[in-house]
Order: sequence, then C-alpha cells, then structure tokens
Amino acid sequence: MAELKNLFDGLSLDYLAACDYAKTGQSLLAFVPAGTLVAAAKRLLADGWHLEDIGALDCVEGYVVSYHFAHYERPGRVTVRALAAHDKPELPSIAGVYGGAEWHEREVRDFHGVVFAGNPNFVPLLLDPDMAECFPLRKDEKTRMKAREILEAGEALFVRPSFTLMTPDAPAGGDAAAAKA
Amino acid sequence: MPTELIRILISLVAFAAAVGLIALVMVWVERKVCGHIQRRPGPYEVGPWGLLQPLADALKLMGKQLVMPDQADPFLYWLAPILVFVPVLLLYLPLPVGDGLYALDINLGVLLIIAFAGFTGLSMILGGWAQNNKYALLGAARTVSQSVAYEIPMLLSVLAVCFVSGSLNMAAVVKEQGTWPWNWNVMTQPLAFVIYIVSALGETNRAPFDLPEAESELTAGYHTEYSGMGFGMFFLAEYANMIVVASVATVLFLGGWQGPVLPGPLWFLLKVSLLVLLFVFFRWTYPRVRFDQLLNINWKWLMPLAVANLALTAFFVKVAQYAFVK
Amino acid sequence: MTRNADMEQVAGDFYAENFAKDASEGSLILNLGPQHPSTHGVLRVLVELDGEYVLRAEPVIGYLHRMHEKMAEVKTAAQYIPNMGRVDYGHAIAWNWAFVGAVERLAGIEVPPRAEYVRVITCELNRIASHLLWWGAYLLDLGAFTPIMYAFDDREKILDILQSPTGARLTFSYFRIGGVARDLDEDCVKAIREFIPWMRSRLPMYKEFVSDNIILRRRIEGVGVFEPDLCRRYGATGPVSRGSGLAYDVRRDEPYSVYPKLDFVVPTSDLMDARGRYDVRMEEMAQSLNIIESCLDQMPEGDTLVKGAPKPSWKVPKGETYFAVEGGRGKIGVHLVSDGGKNMYRVKLRSPSYSNLSLFAEASRGTLLADAVAILGSLDLIIPEIDR
Repeated sequence: MAELKNLFDGLSLDYLAACDYAKTGQSLLAFVPAGTLVAAAKRLLADGWHLEDIGALDCVEGYVVSYHFAHYERPGRVTVRALAAHDKPELPSIAGVYGGAEWHEREVRDFHGVVFAGNPNFVPLLLDPDMAECFPLRKDEKTRMKAREILEAGEALFVRPSFTLMTPDAPAGGDAAAAKA
Repeated sequence: MPTELIRILISLVAFAAAVGLIALVMVWVERKVCGHIQRRPGPYEVGPWGLLQPLADALKLMGKQLVMPDQADPFLYWLAPILVFVPVLLLYLPLPVGDGLYALDINLGVLLIIAFAGFTGLSMILGGWAQNNKYALLGAARTVSQSVAYEIPMLLSVLAVCFVSGSLNMAAVVKEQGTWPWNWNVMTQPLAFVIYIVSALGETNRAPFDLPEAESELTAGYHTEYSGMGFGMFFLAEYANMIVVASVATVLFLGGWQGPVLPGPLWFLLKVSLLVLLFVFFRWTYPRVRFDQLLNINWKWLMPLAVANLALTAFFVKVAQYAFVK
Repeated sequence: MTRNADMEQVAGDFYAENFAKDASEGSLILNLGPQHPSTHGVLRVLVELDGEYVLRAEPVIGYLHRMHEKMAEVKTAAQYIPNMGRVDYGHAIAWNWAFVGAVERLAGIEVPPRAEYVRVITCELNRIASHLLWWGAYLLDLGAFTPIMYAFDDREKILDILQSPTGARLTFSYFRIGGVARDLDEDCVKAIREFIPWMRSRLPMYKEFVSDNIILRRRIEGVGVFEPDLCRRYGATGPVSRGSGLAYDVRRDEPYSVYPKLDFVVPTSDLMDARGRYDVRMEEMAQSLNIIESCLDQMPEGDTLVKGAPKPSWKVPKGETYFAVEGGRGKIGVHLVSDGGKNMYRVKLRSPSYSNLSLFAEASRGTLLADAVAILGSLDLIIPEIDR
C-alpha cells in the first residue's frame, strides 16, 4: 500500500485517496485533470496494471468517468477518475496507451455522449449509428446527484485546493466552479 | 454401333437410378452412423429405422422454391448444379461391377474416369462464381487449388497400379488380381492405396478436407446461395462422387468383383460400402485441416511419395520384365 | 469482383462503409456474421482479405444489446437479479454472484456459511457447464462435429443437477442478496457426488480422443499467440490471460467467499496460443471438480439465506463499490453506485468477453481466415455478455 500511493508521484493530480478495499473494492482513488489522463495511463501500464473498464456517471457537476485498473500479479484496484463537463463533455483518449480503451470509450460515448479526443475509431459501438444523438444513461436535472454524495471519497492523501468535487462541505454554488476545474 | 449406343443409354438410365437410390441409402447410412458415433439414434421417425428419412428430405428439397440471388449470373447459376451431376454419371460407364457387367469396355477406362472427374471441380467453380457471393467465391477458389492439387497424386497412384497391371482397362486390372485379398493390388501397392484414399478425400471434398464448403469459415462455401434442388444436386453429386472414388479404389486396389464364395457384384458392393463407411467415419471423427496444411500435405508429402512410388514401380516392373520374362 | 463492385454492394451499412474506407487496393471485404456459424450468435466481424489472409479485422458488436445498465436504473436491487442470469447464458451464476456480491459488499451483509458453500458449488458446476459448451462449440468451429454431442451430454447432467435447487437450466437467477434461493437437498448433493467421478472419467477420454488429435493440434498450436503485453493492454482476463502465462484468477487474487479455504490450482500455460487457452480450460474443469468435492466435504449445516434478508423493495444504501468474481470467461466486475433511493443510481457491468474480444482486431492481423476463426473460438465468446 505504501508503494501504491506513490504510483502517481510527479503527476498533476486533483485528488488522491486510499480506499478500504474490503468495503469499496478499490485500493487507490485518483481524480486527475483531463491533461494528466494519458500520462497517468502510461504510468499505470508501465507498472503492469491492466484496464478493467471505463464507465461514466452522470452527476450534477458533470460526467465522472471512472477508469478501473487491476494488476495481474498484485491485489488491489486503482480507480482513476476524470470529470467531463455537461456542456462540452470531452476527454483525451487513452486508446493509444491501452488498446482496449478504444471500445470502452466508444461505449461511454454511446451511453453518456462523452467525446474522447484521439480515439482511433470513434464510431458508435453498442448502439445503432442512427441513435448517435440519444444517450440513454444521461440523467435529467431532477435525478442527478452530487458526486460527493454517492461516490466514495476514501481517506484523502492529497487534495488540490481548487478541487471541490469530493470535499464534504462544499460551499453553496461551488458546483459550477468545480465543473470547470 | 447402335447396340453399343443402346447399351450406353440403358446403363446410363440404370446408373442414374442406382446412384439416386444408393445416394439415398448412403444419406441414411451416414446419418445413422454419425448418430451412433455421437451417442444418439439418428433418424428413426420416418419409416422403419428411419429408412425413409432421406426420401422425405429429398421430397422436401424438390418441393422447395428455387431462389436465385439478385445479381447472380442466371445461366451459369443453373448450369452448375446440372453440370456437377451429369459427368458423375458418365464416370460409372467404364466401371466393371461384375465379370462382364459394365457399360463400356474401353481400353482407356481409367483415363476416362480421371478426365471426367475434373468436371466436378469445374462446375463447383462455375457455381461459386455465378452466385455473386463472397463466401461462394472463396469456396470456389479453394476448390480450384484443392482439385488441381489432389488430382496429381491421385493420378500418379493410379498410374502405379496400371504399370503393375499393364493396362488402363478397368476390367483387365480386376482380372489381373486374384480371388483372395493377398492377390489384390493393395498388397503390392500399399503406398499407392493410401495416397489414393487421401487424395480421394481431397478430390471429393470430404472431411477432413471439406474446405470448399468449410461451414465454420465459409458458411456453406461454393453452394452458399443454392436452395432446394440446386443444393440437392450438389449434395447428390458429393455422394455420387464418393461412390465413384470408392469404386475406383475397389477396382484398382481391392480386386474389384473378385472374392470367394459370394457372387461378384455383391463383393463389389461390399468393398465399396466398406470404403464409403470409412469416409463417413473420417468425417464424424476428425476436425478440419487448415487450407495451407491441406496443400502442404499434398505438395510436400503425397506428391513426392507418389512420384517415388511410381518411379520404383516402373523400375521394378521393367526389371521383372527383363529378369523373368526374357 | 473488384473492390469497387464490393463497395457498391455494401454501401448503405455504416460499419461496412467505415471499414471499407481504409481498405487497400485489390482486397476483398468479407462480412462474417451477424449470422454466421462460427460467430456463436450475433457477432459480426468485418474482415479485409488478401486471398486467404486477413489484412484487417474489426468486430462489430451490439446486435444483442439490451441495455442492462439502463434497466438497473428502473429496478430495485432484488428485481435486477434475473437480468444477471441473462447477461451471460454460459455462466449465469457467476453474474448472479457478481451483482449480489456488490450489493452485499455495499450494504455490509454477511452471508451464512452454508450459503457460501452452496454458491461455490453451483458456480463451479456452472463453470464446468460453460467450459463444456465452449469446448463443443470450439471443435465445431474447427470442423469436428462430434465432440459437442459428448460435451452436451455432460452438460445436460449438470443442468439436471442445477435444475432442482435453481429452478432453471440456463438463465439462472438463483442467488439472493444475503444467500441463495434454496438449499441443496440430499438428492441434489447425491447427484453432485455421483457426477464428480463421472466427469473425472470423461476428461481423460476427451484428452485421448480429441485434445491429442494431430489435426486439432496442428490447428491450434502456434495459432493466435497473445503476448502478456497484449493481454495487459486489452485487459484480457480468465483463460485468455492464463493461457498467456499470467497466473491471474480473481478467486485467488481478489479472494471472495470461501475460496481461500479451498485447495485449488490456478492452471496456466506458457504456450500463449490457442492451445494454451484450450489446455487451461480443460484443466480448469478438473480443478472445479476438486473445488466442488472439497466444498461438499466442508459444507456446514445451517441457513442458506441470512435472517431478515432484503425484501424486493429493499433499498441499497448510499455509496459505491466494485466487486469482481471469476467467471468462465474471466473477470466479471460490477461497479455499483447507489444514491439510497428505490432504484440503483448506476450499475456498470464489466464483462470479460468484451475485453477479450477487443484484442481480436490486433491479434488476427496477418493470419489465415481459418486461423482467425480458430482465434475467435479460443476467446470463448458469449455474445449477450459482450453486448449486455
């Protein structure tokens, strides 16, 4: 564990937390800014982690895209999260690092409409191409929850001061600022 | 000459009927044997022991609408299933079923069979091409390389037997062999026999060499788009071809109609049936080889072996001629 | 048939056009599926052929997509269990487990010890059935028609056994939050005890008649070599990664339930080819039998459902968790997020076949068409699981 939390050393993170594996199924949680995503993926691949899945979550602040990684030789699970804003959901693709990400990113695009810039074959995967503008897992304003209410915060190891997504007592009206961060 | 012609016509009709009947029986046998290999009873609902099942299937096939794909070539499309079957009937002409029981007594019987056997491949190519279907096209392409490849070792192994017998006349080849198994050509030419059987499987596209119609790769290969009797003709031709290659093997290697006690035609039928049963066993017990492996088996093993066998045979025949005859 | 002629014919289909865009001159674009004997359902693979060689391949999926993840948003947790039986018809019980396990982990529900053993027994029986299904179908892909009849004979015995406690033969929804629906009765335990030696006697026969056959060996040895790096980049798990020498099994490496108490070996193969994956699955069947046997020996008496087990209207507590189990095809993961409401907020299903298939495009490049079919089969695909 001591080693695991140093995994992203030197990268620009928003949030890093250790999680209780027995309860959450995750060991390390990291929120990264979009610009760090590819570098974080490269770091994980170099350390031997494989990509399990990519899934998005529609929250008030935006689409929280979760990348789950596991290791063939070591226990534990690393969750890397990035936030894509509602009005312009775009993240860089990690398909250049993890080839398997191509499909997962296309799936996220089908379900939530998040655009992954740099995906080599960014066409609909599971849904019909005619449904390209229908995103079934997007939620409406009423049902959206705040990320901090439903997502595991873990035991924070590092929080960028401007990052308020997981801060328990966020100031009122801070959501819009968080989405831009 | 007219008597000859009448004889040919009568035997053609007889062969057509016989082939149709035997094919029906063989479909039943194949399904029964396959069923028992797979621990299930096989057909048993229609008729006693399911004997009428192939007939019911045939009637069903005949009753089906004949469908042609939109952009297919109609002439070639319908020519192919006819072309695949007619030459098969001609192949039976020089086959001696019993002593003196044959349609056409010609000195080049073996040659005739081998020449006409090429027609089957041709019609498969035509059919595969005419359907305007990519699977069929790939199947046809496979047929070309497979038939061309396997005809050569087959021919060489047949030639070796003809060298020993000193004749291309099928009846003469049979007469050359004796009543008992140790008098048959398979004893003097075991390698040629093995080569012949393997090539025959390749020639008739039977498993494990059923690549032109490899179901898991090409859906149904060269006959993908054929329905009803169009498919039925290809199906029938496959069985008719199987009988031909088994009959030729019987004539050349297993003493033809020769055998103790039982009458000749019965022996002939028995030997052919055993060989056909062997083919059926192969089909239901082996996986399919890959295309490059198929060609490798042919060009790297069967061909050199067949050539060596032929050369050795020719050498020994000549030596024997000089040493003992003179 | 020139390429241009092909283009005219395929025009209209989005994926075919998208694929044909990058085609090289003189190649043939072939559409395998969605109705094709070797695609085991409705998988479609676009391949660009140069003669018999595959230049490029692209799986097109989604023909069996049912949006299970959306259904989770309109169902309570208990109502969602039957969905899990329908994600993967091959190893439905493992999917039951993945979802139920995620809910239990989030809600902190302890499962009675007997229920844990019952879960392992049924899950392993289902795994053997799943591998038998693969085995038969794979040999069918390779042109051997007979093995599937024997495989289904054995599989039938398993389904007969599972039928009595689960009430289903294929799409099991047997697990409950906090246990299982019904206990294994005496007859069932007896039938399982009888099945173990039967299956043990069958495996050597399969090896002798099928696995050692020279044609089969030539078809799968050296075909579809997946380097460990390839598995890592595509997230391949299960027999696919174990066949490449990566000894990773969720049952051992992310232990859940009573697996740590059970003695079993995680079979791996260093061959990395279709043969390696074949051997791993064949050995896994033997290992599953060992697991079942030791479970039957260790199984305590007691309840199979926790006292006060959740009712269908029960709400999953707020929070998120990730739970993974080892299915017949690899790691099945469920990422569950609940807002504490009646329905779940988000359920993300990680299906192993999906990741395993995603490496096909890269692995099939430059192979023969027949090899591509052999590689596809060696991945052990269950299409509904890929499409979800």
